[in-house]
Amino acid sequence: MIKGYDKKKVGIERPFTQLLLLGIMLVLVMFISIKSPHFLSWNNIRNILDHTSIQLILALGMTFVISSGGIDLSIGSIVALTGICIGLMLKAGVSVIISSVIGLLIAGLLGGINGLIISKLKIAPFIVTIGSMSLFRGISLVITEGRPIHAFPPEITYFAKGDLGKINPPIILSIFLAILSVFIIKHTKWGQYCLALGGNEEALRRVGVPISFYKTTVYIFSGLMAGLTGLIYLSRLNAAEPNAGFMLESNTIATVILGGTSMKGGKASIGGTVIACLLLGIVRNGLTLLSISSYYQQLFIGAIIIISVSISEIRLRRQMQIR
Amino acid sequence: MKRLISLVLVLTMLASFLVGCAPKDTETTDLDKSEDVEVEVVEEENAEEGLEEDNFKIAEMEKILMEQLEPMPEIGGGEKIGVLIISLTNPFWVNMKDKYEKAGEELGIDVEVFAAPTEGDTTAQLETLDGMIVKDYDAIVFSPIDANNLIPGILRANQANVPVINLGPGVNQDSLKEQGGHLDGVITVDFENQGRMVAEDMLRQMPEGGKVAIIQGIPGAGQSEGRTKGAKEVFESAEGVELVSIQAGNWDRNEAYNITMDLIQAHPDLKAIFACNDVMALAAVEALETAGKKDGVIVYGVDFTDEAQVAIKEGRLDGSITYSPSVYNKAALLLSLKVIQGHDIEGPVFSPLAVVNKENVHEFDGWE
Repeated sequence: MIKGYDKKKVGIERPFTQLLLLGIMLVLVMFISIKSPHFLSWNNIRNILDHTSIQLILALGMTFVISSGGIDLSIGSIVALTGICIGLMLKAGVSVIISSVIGLLIAGLLGGINGLIISKLKIAPFIVTIGSMSLFRGISLVITEGRPIHAFPPEITYFAKGDLGKINPPIILSIFLAILSVFIIKHTKWGQYCLALGGNEEALRRVGVPISFYKTTVYIFSGLMAGLTGLIYLSRLNAAEPNAGFMLESNTIATVILGGTSMKGGKASIGGTVIACLLLGIVRNGLTLLSISSYYQQLFIGAIIIISVSISEIRLRRQMQIR
Repeated sequence: MKRLISLVLVLTMLASFLVGCAPKDTETTDLDKSEDVEVEVVEEENAEEGLEEDNFKIAEMEKILMEQLEPMPEIGGGEKIGVLIISLTNPFWVNMKDKYEKAGEELGIDVEVFAAPTEGDTTAQLETLDGMIVKDYDAIVFSPIDANNLIPGILRANQANVPVINLGPGVNQDSLKEQGGHLDGVITVDFENQGRMVAEDMLRQMPEGGKVAIIQGIPGAGQSEGRTKGAKEVFESAEGVELVSIQAGNWDRNEAYNITMDLIQAHPDLKAIFACNDVMALAAVEALETAGKKDGVIVYGVDFTDEAQVAIKEGRLDGSITYSPSVYNKAALLLSLKVIQGHDIEGPVFSPLAVVNKENVHEFDGWE
């Protein structure tokens, strides 16, 4: 193994946080299902999964970025810019498949630009991506002159709305990507190096691992996830807007942190990210089902995040003291 | 140190998450209550006349609005007027900018339009206003992002004797007065009345009553609260109509889509949805179509965007409410001229409104 890289210390699992979230989720599910008979109907569960899938795809990308010790604030803007690129191609008569593929390539490229600047010029990810967040959003606005693009060929909506029996494509895609992410982290060199990057970058450098390659690819991955989200947005809403995905980055970072991935890097929990996305999806859905005033929604979600992150953090510190 | 930085980062992220979406879509207009200046859409009158070069409804609205502005100022003095709008990231304001420039040309006024870089950037908007005050405009027309952000600039304009006219979203007049400032003119759309008129038209489409829901914009935003309040009053006082839910869509297409999906789960017998703007109304339509429920549910929005116009014609969206931006902006410039020429201005000027639905949408061809 690489020097300074100790699997236990780098820690793939930290199940306490996830169990805590599962507990909160269970209580919520019981409470809402008693109050609303519609909550546990398949159609409603499908709704929750559908809404969660978009958030999850973005959060998976962000989980890799954060566990590699970075941050990507530009994802919301990549969502918008990818949607607009695909939308413009569709309007120009390019086929659905080709415009989607090119759109995703653009998204990967945008992520790659972030990654290259971060790794080659050694500038802090926070600074680079806060810049590109503004830059990409600006490009979207300039291209569209602030106006939404709409009315696409109906085939494009199959991505998000195609009926596959009881489930739709984004749900399947997000489940697939979540499983793939677990596999990548546990069983591939790339995944292990991503974690190690966040854990101890210097050690990796000393043993001659090409740091900038791994860093850049992490941001390409994050860009691709944002691009997929942009495609799904366009497909389900049948419109592409320059202000799509506004503030999405903060929601995404919050779910990743809530899931137990450490902002210090080196620790990733795909399971935690999945549970956190689901939990927030259930909260939003439940509040609507119970007709609770929307004023409480923000309050409730914020409280869950702060309480659960605090409990996990306090517990972790106690454990470290005992050792 | 690393730990401290990461802690600060987490807190920042959480804070921004709590705040949720910053005022993103401070889109349409208006402030407080008023007597209503309504144009009830009269179908018989112009059905036969068909479509002429100039839209009949625009002429009608222009007449009503201009009557409020009597006596008219002198035109052709080559005045210089600066206009500060909210942001060019929103199609609504992009359109407003075009209309201002067109009206300026028509009235022989030198119009320059400025905007904040994003819809939430209250500070940058104030800085822009400060910059405009030193540019020697004869008057400044402005639409603030929120009720308070431009007040320091208004005070500076008052000191510099530059007349200021407030169009659309309102200024916190109490706070302004306390600080010794004043507005020289106000022109606006009545949000509550928008909500009321839409709700009344919706009730007309559902004589047997039923369950209705409202999708708000950003909670707390003036136009969102106003429209919600107006519609709520009408729904709650109507017999056989039950307002089952008010949810915040934050002016966001995707959020409104999710909310609609959830709403029809909770209330499978939902009869109507009022969304506080067209973007969200179109998302509701999209969601209902996906769920195969569009046939039983009436959806109305606000603003009558190009996209909404197409959707109403296709029979997907059921209705929206509008006023004529070209008339509205022209009236704002005329009001400015009156202020510049020393006319007495009494109270706010309200833009007339018109409900658009499937029956009368053809009358709005060429609407601007």
